[in-house]
Amino acid sequence: MLIQVLLSGIALGSIYGLVALGFAVIFKATDVFNFAQGMLVAFGAYFAVTTINLLGLPFPVAILAIVAASAALGVIIHVVFIQPLSGRPMLAVIMLTIALSIVMRAVIEILYGLQGRTLTTPIPTGIFMIGEVRVSQLHLVAASVSWVCMAAFFAFFRFTPIGLLMRATADGYEAALVSGINVKVMNRLAWGIGASLAAVGGLFLGQLQIVSTELEHIGLLALPAVVIGGMQSIPGAIIGGLLVGLIEQLAATYISPKSTDIVVYGLLLMILMVRPWGLFGQRELGRV
Amino acid sequence: MQSIHPLTIGIPGKRALAALATVALTASAQAQFEARNEGVFRDRVDWGVMMDLSGPASGSQGIWTNGFQAYMRTLNEKGGVHGRRINVLAEDSRFNPAQDKINYEKLSTQTPVLAISGMGSSSSQVSLAPTIRGGKIPIVGTYTHTKPLSEPVSPLVYGGFCTYPEMAKAGVGYLTDKLKVTNPKVMVVSIESAGGVEYAQFIADAVKKYGGTSSLVTMKITAADVTPQVLEIIKQKPDFITIYGVGNTAILTMKAMHQYGLKIPAFGISYLMSPQIYAAIGPEAGAQYNVISCFTPGGADKSAGNVEMMAAADKYNHSAMKEDINYVAGWVAGQMAAQALQLAGPQPTRAKLVEAMSKGFTVNTNGLAAPIVFSPANQSGPSSFRMFGYDYAAKKYVAFGEFADYDKYMK
Repeated sequence: MLIQVLLSGIALGSIYGLVALGFAVIFKATDVFNFAQGMLVAFGAYFAVTTINLLGLPFPVAILAIVAASAALGVIIHVVFIQPLSGRPMLAVIMLTIALSIVMRAVIEILYGLQGRTLTTPIPTGIFMIGEVRVSQLHLVAASVSWVCMAAFFAFFRFTPIGLLMRATADGYEAALVSGINVKVMNRLAWGIGASLAAVGGLFLGQLQIVSTELEHIGLLALPAVVIGGMQSIPGAIIGGLLVGLIEQLAATYISPKSTDIVVYGLLLMILMVRPWGLFGQRELGRV
Repeated sequence: MQSIHPLTIGIPGKRALAALATVALTASAQAQFEARNEGVFRDRVDWGVMMDLSGPASGSQGIWTNGFQAYMRTLNEKGGVHGRRINVLAEDSRFNPAQDKINYEKLSTQTPVLAISGMGSSSSQVSLAPTIRGGKIPIVGTYTHTKPLSEPVSPLVYGGFCTYPEMAKAGVGYLTDKLKVTNPKVMVVSIESAGGVEYAQFIADAVKKYGGTSSLVTMKITAADVTPQVLEIIKQKPDFITIYGVGNTAILTMKAMHQYGLKIPAFGISYLMSPQIYAAIGPEAGAQYNVISCFTPGGADKSAGNVEMMAAADKYNHSAMKEDINYVAGWVAGQMAAQALQLAGPQPTRAKLVEAMSKGFTVNTNGLAAPIVFSPANQSGPSSFRMFGYDYAAKKYVAFGEFADYDKYMK
């Protein structure tokens, strides 16, 4: 039973980690605490419904279209809403992302109606047995794809020139500007990547359950994940996501489904009190 | 040609004139009658709806609201009730009892309505029950049923959806018979809500009649995975399960049970009957999934009511939701509201509406449900049930027997 629970926790946690990674990329690059990340997950799922079920595109083409549409959405959000508020207090930007998520929800409800949609993809949904343990193929694919995405972006940031420029921008906005880096383009790229990662998470969450605006709430589990892992840490976001998934499933199984919020957010409170920079974040030191 | 002087008209003629004058005066008074602070105008009656139009339950309650509005539009096209059209003011509850309190006050005094229908959230009903029972606005056709609002019977509250105790009796009785089990072991899979706990108790009472036992396992309304719940089902090995919640609750449970190779029959509460649910869980898991309902969903038969509702749904661009049980429930609640308004007479007020309804009345749904009988002692609403499954090949619901066949389980 424990292995079964751990497997589902890892699968779920991998998706949370993917969404949290997108959140962390945006925060690290632009200092924006993006409360619309959950709606980017929902948008990703609706892009999937549109391309796969409504337009009937071949699955690989549909995946490319989902990622491209989500990236474009992220860039548009940055250009139209975030960039004009550059330099304003963080609270104004936070309020903007909250308002944005409400608008995005309304747009979905107008375009697609209130009813949830069923997402049918060629991803296998059966199970296979390893000894006594049942492994869900959908869970396995979701976890594998999440890990491949995370590894790819990790490599992108680490080993490519653009990744290097993005890291430089994230580490010091003014220094990057002085060095001639096109900071606006780097920030747009960060929003594009963040939205694409959320969309891939939305694709899997939409198939795990039903595509509806309620996916936003699941997407927002990225928030405790990044706070636990460390707001400024890319690996921290991934591990934070995994931890949230595992804790959720273990608490639901061995304590009670009602206890999951208490345990997850209790850990978040504890981290904020004891180690506010998160498990893998760096402590910010200021000279007095 | 004989001319008749007005003064020479005979007695029968005078009577006819007097009657004509009375009718004219009455018609004039009716045309003039208004009770604006109760939502009654010369040409229209404002009627409130409080439902989740956004939030996790909006997928079902939004459809109910569309069904209600579609019935009222159809009625208005036929001239309305007593010459007044029905103007539906729908307020969004947002799955939030605090919002419902604001909505109730708004519909009481700010944009006053004659009566309210819906009241979708069980938690809202529980928290607002004392206010409603102590108020003056009748609630006609509630979407959900809670004890604090419905018991003891209040002349202000009239149920409009299948009631949980009856769902529990009919569902448990039918599956116990069908599976030929004695001392059935039943599990309730529910979202965490006041209504879920109440439903689990009704199931426990129903199962006790057969010498069986029941237990409850819960999940969050926004759950993405129900592995812990399914592992609990595997551990307990029930004869059948019953599901309380929203569409996602049924989808996750049935999909996960299928993934774990469990072939345990299940029945959902009436709210969980939609083609989307069956499409999402697929034919193999869908073969195990039934729904107990007091309504006949769109397209399941050719009754006059069903045909009229399906045509209206197509006319008002509701085709995608016409087979959803919530649509028919909203339509039937509209029939209830119209019938109540008819009984209140040409000069309706909240007090007259309550007085008329409290004497009892019967709603003929034209085949969408068994006739719904309200009496001073029983105002819970639809009380005849039957089980439905889904034929994937024909893409339509299949009824297991007639409503009358289930009467034996209801005692």
